[in-house]
Amino acid sequence: MRDILVHLFVPLHTNNHRAKVLHVDSLMFLAVLYMGFYLVTGWVRTEYPDVLGYATDIRVEQLVALVNAKRAEHSLGPLTLNSELSQAAAGKAQDMLAKNYWAHTSPDGKVPWDFILGAGYQYSVAGENLAKNFSDSNGVITAWMNSSSHRDNLLKPGYRDIGFAVVNGVLNGEETTLVVQMFGAPKAVAAVVQKPIVKVAQAEEPTVVTTSVPATGLVEIPKEASAIAVAETNNSPATSGYYAATREPLIDRSALTKNVTYILGGLIIAVLLLDAWIVRRRRIVRIAGHNLAHALFVLTILYLVSQIVPGVVL
Amino acid sequence: MTTRKWQYLHYIVLFSIVGVGATAFFQLAGNSPLQLLIGIVTTLSYIGWGIIHHALHGDLHMKVVVEYAVIGLVAIFFLITVMGS
Repeated sequence: MRDILVHLFVPLHTNNHRAKVLHVDSLMFLAVLYMGFYLVTGWVRTEYPDVLGYATDIRVEQLVALVNAKRAEHSLGPLTLNSELSQAAAGKAQDMLAKNYWAHTSPDGKVPWDFILGAGYQYSVAGENLAKNFSDSNGVITAWMNSSSHRDNLLKPGYRDIGFAVVNGVLNGEETTLVVQMFGAPKAVAAVVQKPIVKVAQAEEPTVVTTSVPATGLVEIPKEASAIAVAETNNSPATSGYYAATREPLIDRSALTKNVTYILGGLIIAVLLLDAWIVRRRRIVRIAGHNLAHALFVLTILYLVSQIVPGVVL
Repeated sequence: MTTRKWQYLHYIVLFSIVGVGATAFFQLAGNSPLQLLIGIVTTLSYIGWGIIHHALHGDLHMKVVVEYAVIGLVAIFFLITVMGS
């Protein structure tokens, strides 16, 4: 056993003076094994999501507090959670799960404004942000703030109200947590802060969706934004199932994958450094890559891996 | 230029590659496809650095090129699996 370990990790004449783990065939074997682990855990996640899935805990009250904290940092007024916008967001989330799509426009051409108007919110300016597969509320807001177009929506001075829907479901055959965020300013309020209505179509950047109300026959219903309390959404039957999404599988696949990556990457770095040290001490001359450069590179990749947060925004 | 100065220059280039790559990666947080692209570009730059470094050093062999490519492949696998999980 000891001989095998020495052969694997220490440069000797038996392994051509390079730790066997660092041989190309061994590294390829480890890479294939690692990808096999990824595929197998992916299959288990699909078949047994309660055993090996992704953990999530996203709540609307946290999202609203985080959005308003970001706005306060930029000297902007807070947004009020609006039950109609939340209802619109819930309708959008329901539609995405029912029709199996991940986009601002549904396959049958339904745009966010259809949901907003359908919920009874008469707006002069509105916007939508989407997110899926995040593990917590903070991750959602951070990702939106890191995307210039989503950030513009979060920090738009013209908005007064906000609506959220957070729900677990299956999208494209995969367990998913959807977050739909709708922004708006009612006609009466926005008329004060906005110039005459201009339609802004952003075909190049669909993540920012800002438009004006289309010329419909709907009657504007003036409302006092400040009068709409956060608790209103809590009590709304239309959005009660969309207020929080939690999921706690036996094993969190995301954390498991990261840990396995750290172990494998750490093993490669450790063997590279050990190999470099022994070769230098024994003054062995051989043809091989630079161990220190490899170690630095793999360490950088592991650091990048540690910064990856699960989730996608749109 | 002395050998030692060459070595310093090579390692400055290497640090620049990983530094620029990491910075771009952080700037694109939340945009996984672009982050992966940056990871791939950084990896290809690293492989290129290794080839040029060994060529200038006079010890470039196919075995060395393959070694850099395999290390790069492992790095890309790391990024793909964590982003996909």
